[in-house]
Amino acid sequence: MENSNVKAVEQITKDLLPQKFGKRGKIWTAVLVVICLVGAYAYFRQLKYGLEVTNMRDYVSWGIYISNFVFFVAISLVGSLITAVFRLSDVKWSTPLTRIAEIIAVSAIVFASIIIIVDMGRPERFYNLFLHGRIQSPIIWDVIVITTYFFISILLLYIPLLPDLKILIKNEKPGTWLSKLYRFQGSFWAGTKEQFRIGDKAINILCILIIPVAFSIHTVTSWLFATTYRPGWDSTNFGAYFISGAFLVGAGGVVTAMYIFRKYYHLEKYITEKHFDRMGKIVVLLALLYLYFNVNEYLVPAFKMKKSEEMHLEELFTGSFSGMFWFAILVGMIIPILILLFRKGRKPFPVFIAGVMIVIGAWFKRYLIVTPTLLHPFLPMQDVPVNFRHYFPSWEEWAIAMGSLAGALLIITFFVRIYPIVPIEETIIEQTESHEKADQ
Amino acid sequence: MRKQINSYVVFAFCVCSFLSMNVSAQKKEDPGKEYISLRYYNVNNNIQYLLLSSQVRKNSQVRPQPGKVYEIYMENSEPSNLIGKVKTDARGDANAVIPPALKSLWDSTAQHIFIVKQGEEEIISDYTVTKAQIVLDTATVDSVRNIKVRVNKWNNGSWSPAPDVEMKVGVRRVGGIISAGDEDTYTTDSTGTITVEMTKKGIPGDLKGNYILAARVDDNDSYGNLLVEKTVPWGTVLKPDNSFFETRALWSTRTRAPLWLLFMAYGIVISVWTTLIYLVILLIRIKKLGTAEQ
Repeated sequence: MENSNVKAVEQITKDLLPQKFGKRGKIWTAVLVVICLVGAYAYFRQLKYGLEVTNMRDYVSWGIYISNFVFFVAISLVGSLITAVFRLSDVKWSTPLTRIAEIIAVSAIVFASIIIIVDMGRPERFYNLFLHGRIQSPIIWDVIVITTYFFISILLLYIPLLPDLKILIKNEKPGTWLSKLYRFQGSFWAGTKEQFRIGDKAINILCILIIPVAFSIHTVTSWLFATTYRPGWDSTNFGAYFISGAFLVGAGGVVTAMYIFRKYYHLEKYITEKHFDRMGKIVVLLALLYLYFNVNEYLVPAFKMKKSEEMHLEELFTGSFSGMFWFAILVGMIIPILILLFRKGRKPFPVFIAGVMIVIGAWFKRYLIVTPTLLHPFLPMQDVPVNFRHYFPSWEEWAIAMGSLAGALLIITFFVRIYPIVPIEETIIEQTESHEKADQ
Repeated sequence: MRKQINSYVVFAFCVCSFLSMNVSAQKKEDPGKEYISLRYYNVNNNIQYLLLSSQVRKNSQVRPQPGKVYEIYMENSEPSNLIGKVKTDARGDANAVIPPALKSLWDSTAQHIFIVKQGEEEIISDYTVTKAQIVLDTATVDSVRNIKVRVNKWNNGSWSPAPDVEMKVGVRRVGGIISAGDEDTYTTDSTGTITVEMTKKGIPGDLKGNYILAARVDDNDSYGNLLVEKTVPWGTVLKPDNSFFETRALWSTRTRAPLWLLFMAYGIVISVWTTLIYLVILLIRIKKLGTAEQ
């Protein structure tokens, strides 16, 4: 019996240890690096020539960069959902998904911070935000909350990783750079009862702490818009609307990543169809919730059709943004709901497809929240050049935005190369416990 | 068949004739009627200038004519008497200051004729102005403040009183003059003088209590437009109310944030970061335990 347990532990460890990149992994990484380099070159041009290289002008001063920022902040919220909410609710089946959620959260919040600096015309003046910032401004609240959320997410990623670091040190050849990295990060973890007790306590505190902070980060981001008196943003609903959307895109991101990691690293034993089925149900719930907020956000102003809102809503429903708007609604919400409502739709591949649709739809949804409103101010400017009244990002903006998305994926890719994406120690403990229960 | 073709040709001819009539009618569109006016200004007896205004009346609407070029002369349209070549601005106006080169001509007579030419065409040839000045003085007698205004005209090499000149006398404000007395305008007597009692009390001045008295003649047939101003300490001292800027409010500077916001924001930040520091301490304890174990 003891022998079979040892074998099972060895098998789990072997299955879940990080693996070297194969051919596909190397191509994937190379593609991401190239996209990042193109983005870096575009940013170099922006630094050299100024924000003039973008197509942002007096009307649309928040373009694709801020859409991207909102998207990153939204997807980062998933860390609190999967790790904190599930852990506090004692949902055991989520164990293999926690690290996926946390690394998505960390990589997204890193690039949310970077993209906001990219949006600044003079990034070397960023420090002024801290020196002369006004606590009355929602932008300062956002800076504070993002910094806090980043720190919490790093801790929530690191502390549960400590037991796995011991396993990694044991299984890595001494003297390699990976071994040195593992030793630097976790050589002090001896796996004593006291260490586990303190570690669990720290994780529980983090799980409690991260929920209000996560809610704050996206509520404050929504207030950047809602505290501005403009058609489409002037809403008391915006905080809840943003949070529900964030949970949906985060969950969509997790199911997409689950499928890819499961397939690429052959984790079928650990990320099972049951996980997809349950995550599928959660995604349906979140999509319905977000759809509900969308109905509120658009139907109520459309019913009243105040003059100032009319042009904005017409642009979305039937005007120049209507294609993107209905794409975001259908692809980002309605079709995933239709797929995932049925048991067959909650198999791994359909869930993956639904997840991809949600993430793409969510990206365009953020673009729709930012841009059309800016094109329709309450007081239109007089005698502006025609190109001020339209906005389509320049190639530099696209390159930087895509570079940032690639950068976030690159962080996840390197993380998976270095650390186990499914927690080894926790999986061993859970499987041992379940075997013991079965034996009794 | 031929008949039918002929009828088509006739119809086409009619259509073409109608269209060509229409086009020629459009070509003969009313160019509108131009209105060019010239006004003479003398401000504080030391700046003399002319203001030309160019407008066009077209389709029952009067509009300014920007970008039009005119030449203004004094006495006659000899090149040596050219005051200046001016171009109208967006409002159809153009200014021309009488240049120092024409000082001897200006001083030579009491009356001057101004001429406006557009190209070779003389548009205005009889705008005549008699040189005049306003002298403004103040006197306080038994706490009664009086404004004494005298209008002089240049006559035979000296200043003499200009009677029957209507003018405004009062306090200069944005957009006009508040009359000092009860009348809107006053007219000079046979000695060219007006004395107005300052009946308006409590008019706000600047930080020192100063305001500007003004006497102005508008569009007088003989003297044109005259204005003279004088600063007097008759106003109430202005005490700027900065209390609005000093209140703690969401729109104030960073040092004047509302207290409730400061307590809430810093309360949340301090409590969250205290917890995070505690978590780092827990991490250090885990490290110490592990190091001791090893």
